[in-house]
Amino acid sequence: MNKAKVYPWYFAAVSVLLYTALSVIPGIIGIGYSFTDWSAYSKELHFVGLKNFIKVFSASDDYLRYISNTLTFTVVTTVFKTGLGLLLAMILSKGVFGKNFHRATMYLPSVLPILVTGLTFTSILNPKYGFLNNTLRSLGLDFLAKKWLVDPKLAFGTVMTVDIWRGTGYIMTMLLVGILAIPKVYYEAASIDGANAWQKFKYVTLPMLRQTLAVTIVLNVLYGLKVFDIVYTLTNGGPGHRTEVMYTAVFKMMSKGLYAEGTTISSVMFIFMVIVGYFMVKILTRNEVVE
Amino acid sequence: MKKRIIATLLGGLMALNLIACGSTAATTGAEGAPAAADTAAADDAAADAAPADDSAAGGDSSGVTLTFLASQDWIYDAEQELGAKFEEETGIHIDYQIVPADQYFTLLMTKLNSGEGPDIFGGQSGKYDIVSQYDVEANAVDLSNEPWVANYSEFEKEQTSVGDVVYGSTYFDTTTDFYMVYNKVLFEQAGIKEVPTTFDEYMADCKKLTDAGIVPFYECTADGWHHVMWFCEIGGRFEEKNPGLAEKLNNNEIKFADVEDFKTCLEQIKQMADEGTFGDNYQSDEYSGMAAALGSGEYAMTMAKPGTISEIADASNGQYTVDDFGMFYIPTLDNQVLNVHPCGPTRFIYSGSEHIDEAKKYFEFMTSAESIQYMIDNEPKVENLPYEVGQKPAYSDYTKNFIDNSAKKGTVYQDSIKYLNPQWFDFGQDIIAYLNGDMTVDEVLTKVDDRRTEQAQAANDPAWAE
Repeated sequence: MNKAKVYPWYFAAVSVLLYTALSVIPGIIGIGYSFTDWSAYSKELHFVGLKNFIKVFSASDDYLRYISNTLTFTVVTTVFKTGLGLLLAMILSKGVFGKNFHRATMYLPSVLPILVTGLTFTSILNPKYGFLNNTLRSLGLDFLAKKWLVDPKLAFGTVMTVDIWRGTGYIMTMLLVGILAIPKVYYEAASIDGANAWQKFKYVTLPMLRQTLAVTIVLNVLYGLKVFDIVYTLTNGGPGHRTEVMYTAVFKMMSKGLYAEGTTISSVMFIFMVIVGYFMVKILTRNEVVE
Repeated sequence: MKKRIIATLLGGLMALNLIACGSTAATTGAEGAPAAADTAAADDAAADAAPADDSAAGGDSSGVTLTFLASQDWIYDAEQELGAKFEEETGIHIDYQIVPADQYFTLLMTKLNSGEGPDIFGGQSGKYDIVSQYDVEANAVDLSNEPWVANYSEFEKEQTSVGDVVYGSTYFDTTTDFYMVYNKVLFEQAGIKEVPTTFDEYMADCKKLTDAGIVPFYECTADGWHHVMWFCEIGGRFEEKNPGLAEKLNNNEIKFADVEDFKTCLEQIKQMADEGTFGDNYQSDEYSGMAAALGSGEYAMTMAKPGTISEIADASNGQYTVDDFGMFYIPTLDNQVLNVHPCGPTRFIYSGSEHIDEAKKYFEFMTSAESIQYMIDNEPKVENLPYEVGQKPAYSDYTKNFIDNSAKKGTVYQDSIKYLNPQWFDFGQDIIAYLNGDMTVDEVLTKVDDRRTEQAQAANDPAWAE
């Protein structure tokens, strides 16, 4: 590597300074508060050691379930959004009839405000009056009409499905850009070598798409880990606590004025996300060519 | 080297400039907290900054927008009509921001705790809760010297005051409470001659109704609050069976999880859910759909305020009249004690508001004799309001007799037990988890104890000292 071609450090100074001031320092201060009894009820602040962390990880509280829900949400939505996004991007990168219309339609849900999506789906999925169940009943498919958002067995799956519906178009668009940027010559060379469609996908598309996929997966994982709004608008953590995730718990803690506990959960998630993000970028870009 | 130093300095200056901008914005945001409540209000508030300053100096308030954050069902249409009249008279616009009930308290408390409260906020009264939950001494404005306080009913005043300082104005019909409302026609159709007086009789009647193809009870847990009343509203019965229980609970001498009657009451709620008393859509139903549901004749009962009966009759499209509905006591734990609930939705002026004087004017307007009578005449749920301004209440003879003929009366638990009302929605969520088999009855009650302990200790209550 020619060091003379590397930009000097001060080109990044402003960004680093801003990022440190607005993200890193508040994050560290937040971690500091996790060791205190900071609350809305008292103006005094006392050091309480690991008390808040013990509470978060104790079996008597529900946080372990919230952690498990958050991780499940992250894995499932990432897999489906990436898989479906890739499939749709592959289809819409070809000469499909009305492909621009399809692209726009698929992308549309991701530009809708989440609140609108949540309220619309709450109405659509109402077991008695909702559009979905009424349609199913009118088709004679009564056995498929379920209590989508209030049946404890279905609620979390429904929330994830709505989120997948909402987010797939966005991932598809990113992957589509990646696919369209792959030079045609690679496919032509593969055809000359006798590669079939699957082999072209496996040996040309996927490797060339690796960086885009890395970005989309990291974005999906980080989004999943800090999911809040879609759960809040669809179920508010219910029925009971079935769909509660970490950030709905943080929100509830903060609203009760129990700042230290809320900050503790945020800090745990902050550290977890930094570690996950770091290793994911490392793994997903490990064969990247360094110039 | 020189270039590097200049670049670093420029970069640093740029960053400082941006940070300074950020802090200015933050400060403005805090001062203009009500405006942060929503974008429209933000625009209005920004546009109205100058008139607000004038009003502070005793000038014209015209053009000011007051943000009023309240839970669903707390602001009636009649109040919004009065709000329009208030705007005509004063030029002060009220931006009613109505939030779904199950999300309201989390949203309100997040706003208050982050210093971004609206000009006026709604909250439940209760002398313990207004301190422990809303911290009114810090978050609300002292209203003791307002002219309407002289007309304010004593009990409601006490429940919205800290010591001698009045912080809130209860604007809800606290003179009656939620009772069992039933459809006499459907009862007769199912062969039920008398209203039930025990829980077993009630369940037997529910069975008859179900057999007749009628859903016995309209329960609506989607809002997160209605189903909790089965438990909290029978405070009088708990006390009747366990004299001194409330005092022991308030002194932390006994836990919720130790009271057998509490377990029985929750088990009875589960029994109702399991045996189909609530129908099969109760976890998606909302209180706002109650009048239409009862008016349709599909449901035979609900728990509602007496004033709701005329609303149900109106929603029935002539199928029923008000005389077709009656009331009886909430039957959990064989209760025959009339529930008395002097606390209710109350409004407070946020201490960080830029428009405190305008908000005070709104309170004065709403508590005038004309406004109170207008509310009584135009909102079926309001039969009276807790102010003595010579108004004519709208109690029906039936309601009057029902209340007057009740030999035993008892205060509901959300008013008499400390640290219970603030966790109403958490308790409600746990009850749903219990109904769905995700929690046991003991776990639900232990959670109530845990949350009470958490709040009491945070509030330094000596009865909970470690």
